[in-house]
Amino acid sequence: MDTKIKIGDLILKNPITVASGTAGYGEEMNTFFDISRLGAIFTKGLSLQPRKGNYGNRVLETPSGLLNSIGLENVGVEEFLDKKLPFLLSKGATPIPNIAGHTIEENIELCKILSNTKGIDAVELNVSCPNVKQGGMAFGTNMEIFCDLIKKARKATSCALIVKLSPNVTDVASFAIAAEELGADAVSAVNTFLGMKIDIKTGKPHFNNKVAGLSGPAIKPMAVRIVYQVYEKIKIPIIGQGGISSLEDTLEFIMAGASAISIGTANLIEPSISVNILDELQNYMIENKISAISDIIGLAH
Amino acid sequence: MAILLDKPQEVSQEHFLLKIAMKGANFAPGQFINIKTTEGTDPLLRRPFSIFDAEGDIAHIIVRVVGRGTSLISKMEKGEINVLGPLGKGFTLEKNKNLLLVGGGVGNAPLYFLARELKNRGNKLTYIYAAKTKNYIFYEDLYRGLVDEFLLFTDDGSAGTKGVPTEMARDIISGSGFERVYCCGPDPMMEKVVNMASASAAVEVSMENYFGCGVGLCMGCTVDTIHGFKRACMDGPVFNGREVIWSKE
Ligand SMILES: Cc1cc2nc3c(=O)[nH]c(=O)nc-3n(C[C@H](O)[C@H](O)[C@H](O)COP(=O)(O)OP(=O)(O)OC[C@H]3O[C@@H](n4cnc5c(N)ncnc54)[C@H](O)[C@@H]3O)c2cc1C
Ligand SMILES: Cc1cc2nc3c(=O)[nH]c(=O)nc-3n(C[C@H](O)[C@H](O)[C@H](O)COP(=O)(O)O)c2cc1C
Ligand code: FES
Repeated sequence: MDTKIKIGDLILKNPITVASGTAGYGEEMNTFFDISRLGAIFTKGLSLQPRKGNYGNRVLETPSGLLNSIGLENVGVEEFLDKKLPFLLSKGATPIPNIAGHTIEENIELCKILSNTKGIDAVELNVSCPNVKQGGMAFGTNMEIFCDLIKKARKATSCALIVKLSPNVTDVASFAIAAEELGADAVSAVNTFLGMKIDIKTGKPHFNNKVAGLSGPAIKPMAVRIVYQVYEKIKIPIIGQGGISSLEDTLEFIMAGASAISIGTANLIEPSISVNILDELQNYMIENKISAISDIIGLAH
Repeated sequence: MAILLDKPQEVSQEHFLLKIAMKGANFAPGQFINIKTTEGTDPLLRRPFSIFDAEGDIAHIIVRVVGRGTSLISKMEKGEINVLGPLGKGFTLEKNKNLLLVGGGVGNAPLYFLARELKNRGNKLTYIYAAKTKNYIFYEDLYRGLVDEFLLFTDDGSAGTKGVPTEMARDIISGSGFERVYCCGPDPMMEKVVNMASASAAVEVSMENYFGCGVGLCMGCTVDTIHGFKRACMDGPVFNGREVIWSKE
């Protein structure tokens, strides 16, 4: 049975990964299961300096969903390299750092540092971060800025480069095409959808940042649609995500065109759900006589 | 899988007792368990509850019904229940000391288990139990029978002294005789108790933030402290009250 997936020169042992921001740096998860079993662990979005994140409310449940406004709290690249990465590698995990700089320069610096570090064979660029030098609009929602960032990031990155697409644009596929043309090795689709909550008691937005990212089962049909559309337009692998909480969801994304999937919000409810789904996927392949995962990628097309 | 041993039992208005067997678990006062209220995706997240008491590996919790998740829990049938825990760091267990415990509302729940463990360690305990109204008070006799001095307050005066302890029992709370003060209740109450407590007393509070995961993954449960942001679910829920920065920006 072949569950391996290739992203640039990196070979994932299987297509089940955990999404950035829902798995910390693997330490907590490792108390629940052996994190080396996962295809990869996407670690929390990194900045050059440690970032404190947002004040006030940070998470809120919605019907089958979760709004978050964490504000990219993270330990900074130095502590990541000193403490977090050695832990992940010592456990035999496959870490893929998520890069969340707030300027093009910061992102490029992070790409350089991380891709030249032993044990890191891929980085994921989170283009949903606010671009503070250009009015705070996300890099991933303006084609010109997006292309500028990807071009420079590609040059700075000596390992596989994964671009994590924002769903908050009219045509996600056009951004995926641009990423492929500029040399990305894979795309992650998709990040959280912008949402909002108004507190009717105070008459004000619930989050200090006003808007927040929506994730979880509530966004799954939209994420599946985007993966399906992106698959029709690009040849590089897609890492599908958005509300995956079961084997059935996983298969849906793979059949829509994802080569690998990330589990995000579901980790928060069942910390071991990723390895449970991995076991189920392996059983499913045996029962259905599927010899390679590649046999079912994009089956729906 | 954990087992809910009986149907939730109403112990006072809107408050329910659940006994949950969790094979092999060891509970410490101040720790919590995290319950999935339904099999489906709505409500999506688990709901956290402090340990009210423990018999071996059976956790007792008190659930106050405030919304959909807690309402679903109050109507659960006995049998399998999806629970994670025990989680978090609990209270400091002193020995042979003079201690004060201050609980507000369902915040009294973790302080019962704490008081029991502190009693086993030869401490002298003064307990201040505050509730909104008489009908909300649970297990008054258990608390009263356990501690050396028991003081009851209700907002409306329907039982005990009328008013909140941070007004009506200032002298006691600020008394210099206590080596440690433990407090669990609404944030404003905990903040007042911390500020009121004698400078010589250590103060521990149990924070009840909104939790995303309860296991340290999401960074959703931040408490601002003089040592930076901490996760209530992993670094707490019990914190040194003097290190918490109470006013939110
Ligand atoms: C560490 C910890 C220990 C706790 N221990 C207990 C306990 O022993 N007994 C008990 O009854 N409750 C306890 N709580 C609070 C309890 O978890 C919430 O009341 C519960 O999650 C609300 O769920 P719901 O679906 O009924 O409410 P929802 O429908 O989600 O919300 C209803 C209302 O409750 C508020 N609320 C939601 N979550 C929380 C929360 N975490 N804290 C305070 N208010 C909240 C909402 O803002 C809203 O106003 C504890 C919370 C924490 C973090
Ligand atoms: C609490 C939380 C924090 C997140 N932090 C990040 C992050 O730092 N970087 C990033 O690229 N995506 C982040 N995400 C987005 C997830 O990685 C994922 O793409 C998204 O939530 C969709 O998947 P899901 O519905 O399975 O959660 C975060 C999501 C959540 C819920
Ligand atoms: S609730 Fe998720 S980190 Fe504390």
